[in-house]
Amino acid sequence: MIRADPEALDRPWRIWASIIIVSVLAFSVVFGFLVIPVIQGYAAGIGPYTAICRAIGVAPGAPPARQPRSEAQAQPTTQVAWSVELLRRLSHPAPAGAEVAAGCAPCHGERGIAPDPQFPNLEGQSAAAIYKELHDYKSGSRVNDIMTGMAQALEDQQILDVAAHFASSTAQAVDPTTVPITDALVVRLVERGDPTRGLPACNACHGATAGGPIETPTLSRQSQDYLGRQLHAFKNGDRRNDIYTRMRSIASKLTNREIEALAAFYATTSTY
Amino acid sequence: MTYTRRLTLAHLWFGFAAFAVAAVLGAWQMWARSPLPAPFLTAESYFTSVTAHGTTMAYVMPTFVIMGFGYYVAETALGRPLPGQLWAWLGFALGVVGALMATVTVFAGRATVLYTFYPPLTGSPFYYLGVVLVVVGSWVWCVLMIVAMAGWKRANPGRPVPLAMFATVANAVLWLWTSAGVAAELLFQVIPAAFGWNPAVDVGLSRTLFSWTLHAIVYFWLIPSYIAFYTIAPQAAGGRLYSDTMGRLTFILFLIYSLPVGIHHLLMDPEQSNAFKFLQVSFTALVAAPTLLTVFTIAASMEIAGRLCGGRGLFGWIAALPWDRPMVLATGLAFFMLWFGGLGGLVNMSYGMNAMVHNTSWVTAHFHLIFGGTAVIMYFAIAYTIWPTLTGRTPASLRAQRIQLWLWFVGMMVVTLPWHYLGLQGQWRRVATFDYHNPIIAAWGPWVVVSLVGGIILLASALLFVWNLLEFHRAGAVAEEGRPLYALAVHPPRRVPSTLNGFALWNVLVLVLMAAAYGYPIAQFFLIDPPQAIWHRVDGGRER
Repeated sequence: MIRADPEALDRPWRIWASIIIVSVLAFSVVFGFLVIPVIQGYAAGIGPYTAICRAIGVAPGAPPARQPRSEAQAQPTTQVAWSVELLRRLSHPAPAGAEVAAGCAPCHGERGIAPDPQFPNLEGQSAAAIYKELHDYKSGSRVNDIMTGMAQALEDQQILDVAAHFASSTAQAVDPTTVPITDALVVRLVERGDPTRGLPACNACHGATAGGPIETPTLSRQSQDYLGRQLHAFKNGDRRNDIYTRMRSIASKLTNREIEALAAFYATTSTY
Repeated sequence: MTYTRRLTLAHLWFGFAAFAVAAVLGAWQMWARSPLPAPFLTAESYFTSVTAHGTTMAYVMPTFVIMGFGYYVAETALGRPLPGQLWAWLGFALGVVGALMATVTVFAGRATVLYTFYPPLTGSPFYYLGVVLVVVGSWVWCVLMIVAMAGWKRANPGRPVPLAMFATVANAVLWLWTSAGVAAELLFQVIPAAFGWNPAVDVGLSRTLFSWTLHAIVYFWLIPSYIAFYTIAPQAAGGRLYSDTMGRLTFILFLIYSLPVGIHHLLMDPEQSNAFKFLQVSFTALVAAPTLLTVFTIAASMEIAGRLCGGRGLFGWIAALPWDRPMVLATGLAFFMLWFGGLGGLVNMSYGMNAMVHNTSWVTAHFHLIFGGTAVIMYFAIAYTIWPTLTGRTPASLRAQRIQLWLWFVGMMVVTLPWHYLGLQGQWRRVATFDYHNPIIAAWGPWVVVSLVGGIILLASALLFVWNLLEFHRAGAVAEEGRPLYALAVHPPRRVPSTLNGFALWNVLVLVLMAAAYGYPIAQFFLIDPPQAIWHRVDGGRER
């Protein structure tokens, strides 16, 4: 018996395996990169070169469709756009912040605890939350007789500074004499929401480990009066600076009794 | 009795113990999504559970089972001691530390990011580092498998590597390629963010890197099951493997075509263009080839066994098979689930149909059938087959093992068929609770309850499985020594071309395909200046 040369046995396997696999690749490239985009582009009135560039991804859009261009002007709910640079600046408090904050103290308190419950506490809020609201007052996204004028008098840099100042200087100011007001119904709303009404848990955004937007304010130890009025303002549409109408749609489903109970709960708890 | 007995037992026990815990979580998740009031249910606890279930079932359990089985195959199929046993124990230790670190972090509520990470979400670095340790432990295994095969080939020049070992090394090579994507995502994007070192992330790049891993990882999980189909099931049925070459081709095709296909997970994503989606979908279609080769070869092997058992006529051989043997029973049940899972997968890979089922329970049903069904039921059968050789004992009756396999099969079908239907109705994945007062969603309720029943059956099966394994340690009957485990081929190969006896050529071809399929889709993120997303911490980190 003649023993076959191992190399001669292997060669056709190597060659044919490579040919088959490269052919499949070539087939896919020809169809996916050339034939299909050109045909689709032709049907959509797009030239072959543009269609191929779109298919590969070096030009925007898809070959089968003209790029619809809307003439409508977007009307954003808020002018605040978060960026790495903005967040970096917010995380570095400047001495100038304290000077601006002196103007806030009569209503919001020196340490961010408001002497009059109609005004919100700033204690415990993040710089992002304070910045967002001040900026919204300045741009007109949120309207308030006192704050609109106050914010419009501030430069952008001053808004940044004062937000960073309050966030860095007031976080630990807790009133130890507060007695928590809890209610099973409210705790359920806070922790689980009410799926039967399409209400997400408050905690889903406002909780300490939540996945909510970066500007979501802390609700714990906020003034009861202020919280109740804001929920009512969202509910009747007087306040409209919530992106995607998140808070308006939630508040519109809450009963007045729930709003009062939630405000009382958050005002007296420090654990959420 | 094998030299690596303790090593294999340690890996398999750790994997299966984790599996039993994760099965409890899975059943609870079905309860949470059902209209029935579930205990402990908040959105946070649900996503904590989903993250722990996914991390355990996707990273911990299969990795440990595959490693343990691989060490076992390397010793029994090659008939020589495993090289580098100390390294193997080191890999085991890394994996155990990593698995515990990741799950403790998840249960502490510091990393409810789901096992697929979803940047720009980010949590505690300990979660990601834990996952990395598990993967690094598995890399040790990959190297040891390659070294073991290379040593055997040096000692046996010109002889074909036994199919079980050839396939195991195919899986090791596949896993090294596969894990590169997720490793890059974790090491360069996610972990630096978890430490607070980089402020923003290109989510398109993360998703593309994860897609590199996301499809091939399923083949990493499946290959042990295919090893059992080709090399153990025909022997257990009392027959022979129809074709050794078909087996080699199958594992090679898995290596080649499970990798350059991951963008089919991104068909609805905007960051990749149509042409690359088409390219990868066309490769995806070719993954059907090794599956169909397997269906043919294993059916033919089983027919040989059935006819040797006296089966006659066109289908008489099926009834004649020894279905009382767990390995044979599991193979039959696995094939049944493979059909359903495979057909669902054809829908997922088709651009237009995928748009209809994207992000619905349909997809969850698909991967539970393929992995939880086909792959895991074979893990059970593998355990039942090799445990007597590990403990030297075997229970007097196999009845509890057969019941466990049937329960798993029935449970998986009862769970996943309603999921498929609900997915077509539009039921979302990754959602903790539903508004069952909405009349449209209310109609889903009864089907979710059916799935919950399936989940409870699966949990019962998982616990019975652990019980059955304990029985091997408690049983008095001594297992037969020296019974051959691996099937002979009808024509045992005396020599195979070197292309079917190693992976050099195939690695080059994988490189070519990966460069074509992923080269520009990844390079584009560095060539253009894409928008970045700000990281969002779920562990109460710096911003809040």
